[in-house]
Amino acid sequence: MAEGPGYPRPHEDADNRPMLEAWREGRLVVQRCTECGAAASYPRPLCPHCWSDRLGFEEASGQGEIVAWSLVHRPNHESFLDEIPIVLAEIAVPEGASLIARVVCAPGAVRTGAAVELVTDPWRYPLPTFRLKHRNDE
Amino acid sequence: MVSSDIGILGYGETLHVKRTDRTLFSFLAEAGRKALDSAGLRKADIDGIAVSSFFLAPDNAVTLCEQFGLSVSWAWQFTAGSAGPVAGIIDALHAIDSGRANVVLCLAGDVYSVARHYRLMENFNHSLYNYAAPHGFGGPNGLFGIIQRKYMEKYGLERAQLGRIAVAQRECAMRNENAVFRTPLALDEYLSARVIADPIRLYDCVLPCAGADAVVLGALDRVDASKRVRVLSGHERHNHLPGEPCPLSGGWELFRDRMWNESGFGPPDMHFVQAYDDYPIMVAIQLEDLGFCAKGEAGPFLDAHELTWQGDLPLDTNGGQLSAGQAGAGGGLMSVVEATRQLRGEAGERQVAGCKRGVVAGYGMVGYGHGLSASAIVVEQGS
Repeated sequence: MAEGPGYPRPHEDADNRPMLEAWREGRLVVQRCTECGAAASYPRPLCPHCWSDRLGFEEASGQGEIVAWSLVHRPNHESFLDEIPIVLAEIAVPEGASLIARVVCAPGAVRTGAAVELVTDPWRYPLPTFRLKHRNDE
Repeated sequence: MVSSDIGILGYGETLHVKRTDRTLFSFLAEAGRKALDSAGLRKADIDGIAVSSFFLAPDNAVTLCEQFGLSVSWAWQFTAGSAGPVAGIIDALHAIDSGRANVVLCLAGDVYSVARHYRLMENFNHSLYNYAAPHGFGGPNGLFGIIQRKYMEKYGLERAQLGRIAVAQRECAMRNENAVFRTPLALDEYLSARVIADPIRLYDCVLPCAGADAVVLGALDRVDASKRVRVLSGHERHNHLPGEPCPLSGGWELFRDRMWNESGFGPPDMHFVQAYDDYPIMVAIQLEDLGFCAKGEAGPFLDAHELTWQGDLPLDTNGGQLSAGQAGAGGGLMSVVEATRQLRGEAGERQVAGCKRGVVAGYGMVGYGHGLSASAIVVEQGS
């Protein structure tokens, strides 16, 4: 099992542990309020919509769509320098949340509206990371 | 919003420099002394302080008073990133109006650099630390690259239209001795500059630098009528569009009608716009949200107006942060300093002719995808 190249990692805490634990198994879970039904884009201790503390995590499909994107040539951390440009995207997932996430693909292949799915090597990435669903570069 | 007898009495600004061994206290002190001189007041007149700075910790507004030998009845420290200094003006005016202070010194600045910028943004708040930095997000450049592409694809905006902002502001900066960039910038250079976070290129980004800005607020009759600047109205908004990471509006649209109504004026009455220019795309969005044009029409609007100090819509007449540099939180007060300078007719080679009133906007506190805070004030010559 290959290790990721020393990327910065999130602080794991009681709020985000279920999401990070799921990701270590290559799964995406989305936090949802059991009272109002709203999904949150990153884990919180209370529902940002109705302030209920009755929150749960549900298994997501792992699918998504690129809403918009940038190609980061100057990343914030040196561990990314061998992989520039980093494809950074706003991704809408069908469970009803919008995420900022990395898409691992050839920079010339990224398109607004493209379908994405989770990468299959989650151990390499600290957070849920996507790839293009329809790839012609592999 | 507050008594029309209260306003801005003086302003001060340091040089913006890329490298320095001076301390943050030294920059803030210089800006504060200059502001006091410009108001014709003395240290003993100050009984309130408002300070905005990203790197003041472990110090704060109160320990800054110890450094400066000030004893005050009101002390304020910013939140809201670079929307904070303009919000601080609003709060300080209310503090004076309610008798909590008579003369407030508003300070903003940082000893900022490219390296400090990346370190600050990586740990700017929990959501960026946890959910953006591990993706290699590239700081705000990567996030505003997403916003710019989304805007361009939705509304057909072209980079050459945004380039008009950078080019016009450089013309102003060439007439600002405090600016870091003082050589001409051609549109072709803007368009072909090094890619930072596609579609964002080098001249879409501000240069972090060291510097500080200051204004003094108080009863307008403390200064000569020709030097008075009135604040007609002002508002702020935080965490606009909860849950939407990359919105194409910044929050000004939620208070703009109230702000214009209270001021008695509207966008066509403004003789300048001191916009918050962290990126040209945010200037475009700001012009829409403030009501200068409809949503989606910033591109044609920019094409239709001349944006230098000589134009019909003078924009960031000191060169803005894009050309004058971003002294950390000072970037959010530099606009107020420039507005004051223009309204007092003290802007020298870049003086806007017949300048009576204008609008100043702030923006900042980048969270999970975009700046969470917007602020704005309408200012007028007080004579």
